[in-house]
Amino acid sequence: MFTLKYKDDLFKFILSVFVLSIILIFSVSVIIVLYYSYPSIIRYGISFLWTKEWNPPKEVFGALTFIAGTFIVTFLALLFAIPFSFGIGIFLQEYCPFFLRGIFTVIVEMLAGIPSVVFGVWGVLTVVPWLRESVEPFFNAHFSNIPFLKVEENIGYGILAASIIVAFMILPIISSITKDSLASVPKLAKDGALAMGATKLDVIKDVSLPYALNGIYGGIILGFGRAVGETIAVVLLIGNQAVVPKSLFSVGYTISSLLANTFTFAVISPIYASAEVELALVLLLTSLIVNIIGRNILNRVIGGRFSRSQFGGG
Amino acid sequence: MEQQLHEPVFPANRGYLKRKKVYNNIAVFFAAAAFVIGSFPVFHIIFEAVSIGYKYLNWHFISTLPTGFPIGAEGGILNAVIGDVYLIVIASILAVPIGIGTGLYLSLFGKKRANAFLRLLNELMLGIPSIVWGIVGFYVFSTNAGPGFHFGFSALAGGLTLGFIMTPIITLLTEQAVNQIPASYIEGALALGATKWQATRAVILKAALGGIFIGILLGVMNIIGQTAPLLFTNYYNTGMPTGVTGPGGAVGDLAMLIFIYIHEPSKILHYKAEAASVVLLLFIFALDLGLRLINYLAKRFIL
Repeated sequence: MFTLKYKDDLFKFILSVFVLSIILIFSVSVIIVLYYSYPSIIRYGISFLWTKEWNPPKEVFGALTFIAGTFIVTFLALLFAIPFSFGIGIFLQEYCPFFLRGIFTVIVEMLAGIPSVVFGVWGVLTVVPWLRESVEPFFNAHFSNIPFLKVEENIGYGILAASIIVAFMILPIISSITKDSLASVPKLAKDGALAMGATKLDVIKDVSLPYALNGIYGGIILGFGRAVGETIAVVLLIGNQAVVPKSLFSVGYTISSLLANTFTFAVISPIYASAEVELALVLLLTSLIVNIIGRNILNRVIGGRFSRSQFGGG
Repeated sequence: MEQQLHEPVFPANRGYLKRKKVYNNIAVFFAAAAFVIGSFPVFHIIFEAVSIGYKYLNWHFISTLPTGFPIGAEGGILNAVIGDVYLIVIASILAVPIGIGTGLYLSLFGKKRANAFLRLLNELMLGIPSIVWGIVGFYVFSTNAGPGFHFGFSALAGGLTLGFIMTPIITLLTEQAVNQIPASYIEGALALGATKWQATRAVILKAALGGIFIGILLGVMNIIGQTAPLLFTNYYNTGMPTGVTGPGGAVGDLAMLIFIYIHEPSKILHYKAEAASVVLLLFIFALDLGLRLINYLAKRFIL
């Protein structure tokens, strides 16, 4: 008996060591980002977040350009992705013939499995030429007097190209959560409405969506979290020029693409590196807050079930 | 008589009913269109990669190192294939024990509140952007100044950073796999006097094996496509690694190779990037197929 008890305690002890190491990984990560951004935080204060000049040789750092770029790309991506993922979720859960549902769901999951860099290559070789040769000349000819749609340089690269690709990358997350939320609607409520003579559209509009809406919000929030940190595809497509984008077609810079392009040079000067790590801190805090809110909503609505589409890429 | 049976109850509403049906059909059209447009990139990415890269897709491409000028213009991608093996093995050595251990702990031991906290922590780790992991990995493993392991830009630094990304995925899938086992299996073992270790070894690990394996494959699928964390921890090597740490310890990586090749102005490197994308996608879809098969078999034969 003694050995059995001993073995069981040893088992629990070993598992506890693994648990401690996951806690250690998380806390070390947060502490490192805080520790290395500290010099920049005390030197530049809160105005770091809304001053525009980013001049490493003079050691003047203001991050507005990159923060604005990040959030503009994220919001545009959500703007493009939400209607489509909404439609995909409704299609897969409600309208799609049953025998096709499995294969169609696999296709959406395949979209989630495509790596960020492959999306970037597709963007460079397909989306950018399309924007340069068809979309931008069209807008230039017809809408050039609307400030947000002005084409400054007809190069194809820019925030529009980046946000189209990011939209495709967050599409599977939002649509799979939309689908799961719709699937959690009690069948009895839907059947009742159908029996009263409602069409499927009425059922979706008046029964399913009100019930599933919270889950869909959760999905959108998680999509936001994913889009904020998207790096490699954005580096390849956004144009990487430190200007605050003024129109849909202008080039820009995001936090993640700045880090990817310059962090290896920045580590030579401690304060430069510190300013860049402070940007990483902005990303980290955004993702933590967004994920706490999103997971809380999803845990209540679909019981914290993870679908395949929520991993992948990078 | 026949005619009357088919008359609507409220003839005045006939137009209304018709209109509702038309609206429903419009909704079907838009939902289907959303699906078609949303899934278009899957097909176009594969089509484009294959149609551009097909002429390089042969055994020679996979089995030779890149040579020529600019580097990669001739030869293949052997450095990246070997490098990916290094990175996957190193990441798994870190992530598999920690992930499985934490997942088992969450479903077998612990208090409710503490476990809720652990789960939240795990979900938050899933959400941390990969570029932030890259910076963390740089300061923990690669940097030569300050505290840290001082591994330099190397396979060990890159692999362990990827392990950080892989760990929460395995934890999550392990816990889900154990929770899916019918409670009666575990209770039966415990009722016969088995300790939790005996129950784990004899019942839980066998019944959850499929789910745990799926977690590992999902983790590999995820890290194989990661580029951003490797930028600051491993970067790239056009040759073979001579070790796993320090100078010469860096390895090639498929995702990194694609990223570097597409940055070059040379057209031939763009074509090779597409060919390498085909290899990467093939690998990912093979893993995908494998885990779907395991899922099917586990459902069919184990539970």
